[in-house]
Amino acid sequence: MDELLDADGSPRPIARDLIELLHRIGLDDVRERQRVSDLEILTMGISFTVYSDGENIDRAWPFDIIPRLIGGDEWSVVERGLAQRLRALNRFIDDVYNDQQIIADGVFPAALLEDSANFRPECRGVHPKFGVWAHISGSDLVRAGDGQLYVLEDNLRVPSGVSYVLENRGVAKRAFPELFQRHRIRPVDAYTDELNKLLVSLAPADRSTPTIVVLTPGIFNSAYFEHSFLAQRMGAELVEGQDLVVGDDECVYMKTIQGLERVDVIYRRIDDLFIDPEAFLPDSMLGVAGLMRAWKAGNVAIANAPGAGVADDKCVYAWVPDMIRYYLGEEPLIPNVPTFRCMYDDEREHVLANIGDLVLKPANESGGYGILIGNRATVDELEAAAAAVRADPRNWVAQPILDLSTAPTLVDEGIEPRHLDLRPFILTGEHSYVTAGGLTRVALTKGSLVVNSSQGGGSKDTWIVDRDESDGPANGHTEQAVQSQSQGDR
Amino acid sequence: MALLSRVADRMYWAARYIERAEDSARVLRAYGDVLADLPITTSRWHPLVTISGSDVQLPAVSGSDENQVAQFLIAEREHPNSIVNTVDSSRENLRTCREVLPREAWQTVNDLSIYVRGAAVTSVERRRRDRFLARVVDESRRLDGVMISTMTRDEVFEMWRLGRYIERADMTTRVLGVRAATLLSVPAGTTDEFNEVQWMGVLRSLSALQMYQRSTRGPIDGPSVVRFLLFDHRFPRSVAGCLAEMRTSILRLPEYSTVLGAVEAADRQLRRSRPAADDGAALDAAMEGVQVALARLDRVMHEQYVVH
Repeated sequence: MDELLDADGSPRPIARDLIELLHRIGLDDVRERQRVSDLEILTMGISFTVYSDGENIDRAWPFDIIPRLIGGDEWSVVERGLAQRLRALNRFIDDVYNDQQIIADGVFPAALLEDSANFRPECRGVHPKFGVWAHISGSDLVRAGDGQLYVLEDNLRVPSGVSYVLENRGVAKRAFPELFQRHRIRPVDAYTDELNKLLVSLAPADRSTPTIVVLTPGIFNSAYFEHSFLAQRMGAELVEGQDLVVGDDECVYMKTIQGLERVDVIYRRIDDLFIDPEAFLPDSMLGVAGLMRAWKAGNVAIANAPGAGVADDKCVYAWVPDMIRYYLGEEPLIPNVPTFRCMYDDEREHVLANIGDLVLKPANESGGYGILIGNRATVDELEAAAAAVRADPRNWVAQPILDLSTAPTLVDEGIEPRHLDLRPFILTGEHSYVTAGGLTRVALTKGSLVVNSSQGGGSKDTWIVDRDESDGPANGHTEQAVQSQSQGDR
Repeated sequence: MALLSRVADRMYWAARYIERAEDSARVLRAYGDVLADLPITTSRWHPLVTISGSDVQLPAVSGSDENQVAQFLIAEREHPNSIVNTVDSSRENLRTCREVLPREAWQTVNDLSIYVRGAAVTSVERRRRDRFLARVVDESRRLDGVMISTMTRDEVFEMWRLGRYIERADMTTRVLGVRAATLLSVPAGTTDEFNEVQWMGVLRSLSALQMYQRSTRGPIDGPSVVRFLLFDHRFPRSVAGCLAEMRTSILRLPEYSTVLGAVEAADRQLRRSRPAADDGAALDAAMEGVQVALARLDRVMHEQYVVH
């Protein structure tokens, strides 16, 4: 299905003005607006880094000017669903590093935890503030042929992309000013302020005006632009491992021109295996020796907490609906993609019998590695996969092949439907916050499902559009308009 | 708010590199302008390579070929002080301290870097060169304008100023050491009808002609040009003026005593060069003395604020 057009190709009510505008101005004007936007992205230095031919290259961020629209009513449910999901996931993480009640109660299999590559025994017994470990997360949503939004996966370690949500909006406002005047589009700019509030709330109790830093692996990281962007927008320091040191008092300090200054909250954008050579990989050059000691002593907060990744492998994913019921006593508001767990005999038999119609995923790989798409695999590949499942059933899950939704996208051939997904960002602390929309990633190649920007994917601005009772431009706009204007100036 | 040592270092170097690009562009522009007025036989491009302070040798070039020298100074990737390289170095340093920069400042340097990378090679040729060099100078000044009009006067800002002024002082001593020294060395009694044109070129290469004339109100005279560019602290490109600006910035930084000491030492070295203002050979040596003092100031700052 298409996000903006119905089955017979006419615009859905929410997208009527946009589609009419595209028709009215014509393809040449659309291309001209795209060209202006591309130029703006280039000169503003909105970039991402790709590694190619042994070199790290700073590339202009790929952006398709035609936005993707979602109705405000639907989004309000998604917001609550994501907040619910992250509350449950955080309860789970806190539980597995402490009492492991969910295992004792037989809801979650002990064996899975033993196998998990992301379970960090070093974190046992730690209780971060509010019981929250995954403070900043991004869950990937896809809309299937039945029109339903599903959670495809949760990213609880160092999810990236939120800076582009904010930058895309800035560019889109200038590309389609006429639509922003007519519609109630929820602003996205508040994110960095919400993030700042969250990070401040995590500081050790005795620190009144906490010092917050963003810890980056450095300029060669693919998300360096974002690390810099977030530090800039929060007025935080952007530090590398070499800028920090842990003192004899087990506090973290940064090296300033006046000597050492105490750090209270670290928003780390380094994988947890690299954050502390003393506790994890001893030859990591990116981390800070002693950071884990400082964290366990409660002298510094780390977001996301080390070990939070235990809840985002592809097997654990299958248990999230059960976690929501177990910890919160609620029904999940957004469904998982149906997932077969090969460790159970009946589910494994189903997978082996229907392997050609399923997507097979190994538990502990990320970035799409090791994934087998049944209907695109050769007979030999399918046989090898079936053997792998039989040999190590606990490492495999399978899902139906989804028919991802599309949206009209400007490509060389004109405006054509292309597949997309959506990554909203969720902040969890004492309270929850969900971005209005998120990062829509689009596969620019016809028929392709690969949306990664490093592999030729693009992005779109995502508009959460609230219905306007009177449909008149003068009514009901005031508050929204004033708000987005004041935020646009920052 | 405390300033990270690493960020301080990068701001300082970003400022030095952009100032270096701006100054080279200005020197090259003024030199081309002067040579257009001189008879072909006196055209010598090699002094510009010396001014740009390069140890890199021009590959198989005597330094007399205008296009080769211009290509070396503008677009040569092997030459660390070429305009493409210095603009890129400034951008790369600022890219790692965007969190402390006004957004427009980053956009200005990014914009300039995109322009320079695209236009450098085709701007070597004389017909297009002036436009290119003018833009480099303009954008560098725009960057300063953004900083001055939008940045809080904190330590980040002072690091930027320090980088700007130390580089500028250094460039003024180089121009004087190479070009003024040569002009002063013209044997007594010989009258060079182009002498005045050449001194005007020296002043122009430091954007100083107009201000010099306002301050002297007389014909152009070599030694007074040298004295103006070294000692008139009211003129912002004079060495004394740059040292005064650095002193102001240093007093706003923490634990500045050793750094201030290094500025005073450079100032003493500068004052010692006063008698050299009408002697070419002595001037060249005196300028080297000031350059050494500036290099020591750079090292002292690095030790005080970056490495501890």
